[in-house]
Amino acid sequence: MLEFKHVSYHYPATPPVIPDLSFKIEKGEFVALAGSNGAGKSTISRLSNGLLLPSSGEVTVGGFNTKTTRASQIARKVAFLFQNPDRQICQNTVREEVSFGMRVQGFPEEEIKARTEAALETFSLNGDWSPFTRSRGERQRIALASVLAGKPELVILDEPTTGLDYKECTAIMDHIAKLNREEGLTILMVCHDMELIQSYAGRVLVLNRGTLLGDGPTRQIMKDRELLSKARLRPAQIPNLALRLGAGFEDVYTVDEMAALLQKRAGHKEGEE
Amino acid sequence: MNLLQYQPGNSFLHRLNPITKLAAAFLYGAACIISGNLFLVTALIILMILIAATAGLGGRALRLTRNLLILGALMFIIQLFFVRSGDPLLVTGGFVWVTTGGLVSALLLSLRVVAAMLPLMLLFAITEISDLCGALVKKLHVPYRYAFIVTTAFRFVPLFTSEFHDIEDAQRARGVEYDTRNIVKKVQLVAPLFVPLLTSSLRKVDAGAISAEVRGFNLRTYNSGYQQYPFHLADGAAVVLLVALIVVSAVL
Ligand SMILES: Nc1ncnc2c1ncn2[C@@H]1O[C@H](COP(=O)(O)OP(=O)(O)OP(=O)(O)O)[C@@H](O)[C@H]1O
Ligand SMILES: [Mg+2]
Repeated sequence: MLEFKHVSYHYPATPPVIPDLSFKIEKGEFVALAGSNGAGKSTISRLSNGLLLPSSGEVTVGGFNTKTTRASQIARKVAFLFQNPDRQICQNTVREEVSFGMRVQGFPEEEIKARTEAALETFSLNGDWSPFTRSRGERQRIALASVLAGKPELVILDEPTTGLDYKECTAIMDHIAKLNREEGLTILMVCHDMELIQSYAGRVLVLNRGTLLGDGPTRQIMKDRELLSKARLRPAQIPNLALRLGAGFEDVYTVDEMAALLQKRAGHKEGEE
Repeated sequence: MNLLQYQPGNSFLHRLNPITKLAAAFLYGAACIISGNLFLVTALIILMILIAATAGLGGRALRLTRNLLILGALMFIIQLFFVRSGDPLLVTGGFVWVTTGGLVSALLLSLRVVAAMLPLMLLFAITEISDLCGALVKKLHVPYRYAFIVTTAFRFVPLFTSEFHDIEDAQRARGVEYDTRNIVKKVQLVAPLFVPLLTSSLRKVDAGAISAEVRGFNLRTYNSGYQQYPFHLADGAAVVLLVALIVVSAVL
């Protein structure tokens, strides 16, 4: 679905932000891109859909080479949610906003109508609202609804939940996870919240100064304390606690697993007495 | 924008007091406007380029001169056909198109425009706006409020530019095609972008104003700044030279 082949990138008149990067994401994966501030996460996500072109190397996405395909054409297959919804929202009503992307991409009118209403329904939005006066969380939901309405194959999310409260955050993430599970939507999520990554992503790319330090299943990455500290990231709480507790807790990963194991141990003790 | 950007340096020009630089740019421009002598005005343009070269800005001065000459050429053409004194120069079918008086005054006007604008534009290359405003507040007791408006306005230009690029990117990611040649279509596509630009800018400005206020913006007086802007001997010398230049250009 998405492949970086020896990609390097530098902004005009700066040293390379990304020296040499290669990775591949298959269809249907839920991948998190983790790294500290300035690691190059946003740069990579912009390289992924042709908003930036690599200085050398190649990026292919959805079968397109970003160098030879227009960003607007890639947009049919690849949706991009920015951290700040206000950069995207430009229409007077939520309904117009949600249909805007499909309209510029030339979808047939009936399809636009049907998909817009479906998206409004799934994201619990009122099509007649003015998007500008809604709360931050609602604006983010409007932005997400409008990038997902066109049924893309890959969604790139650049820190989709910063500034959202717990409820909005889980609502958005649960919806994305559902699309991933049920419709095979491929997801690349830029994020430095390790708790969020642990709850949703199946695979993690760990980035430090434009270089890939680690790439593997979330479970495995969460246990690699050395790798995470090299990338200046903190493991999620439960894996961290499990590491502290040491022997017997190696495979504990979620709150439920931890609770089950602790209860079992407590039960044993009571039984022994 | 690029041609007006500050270029850090430590040359004689850079080290002058910001107020001296401002005054000098105006005096130099005034000398060019006062002078009615074509050769003197041309010489002053060349001299300005040489002066800029001492601060490592020769290339920039040449490029600015070229751009200003384009503007000058426009004014030249307009003036050429409107001033009708002196002997006829270009006559077709009994109608006088161009006169000698028109030619001279058009040349003079366009060269004056170039000569007077050049030092003002180079001023931005050797002076940071914040220094200029700081000095105006400290030395001339310009109210800080007004100086702040100027510095902020300048600071917002690159901010708006990058914000606009990000907005454009967000729309391109949704499939909007901006690199069309059709001007009407381009305007139709770009116009809606001003909505997000306006909303996000107003949010930023509002937040900026509040944060300035809570940090005691109103308590600031001309004396609050830490940076001092002393005058040196060189500043005096520069002003004397420029006044002399004005006298010369008025006489010649
Ligand atoms: N337009 C630009 N021009 C020059 N340098 C830039 C530009 N944008 C980003 N950079 C630099 O590139 C590096 C990577 O930036 P990037 O935005 O990709 O990081 P990030 O991982 O997304 O960080 P954050 O967590 O803060 O969003 C940073 O060092 C940054 O200073
Ligand atoms: Mg970023």
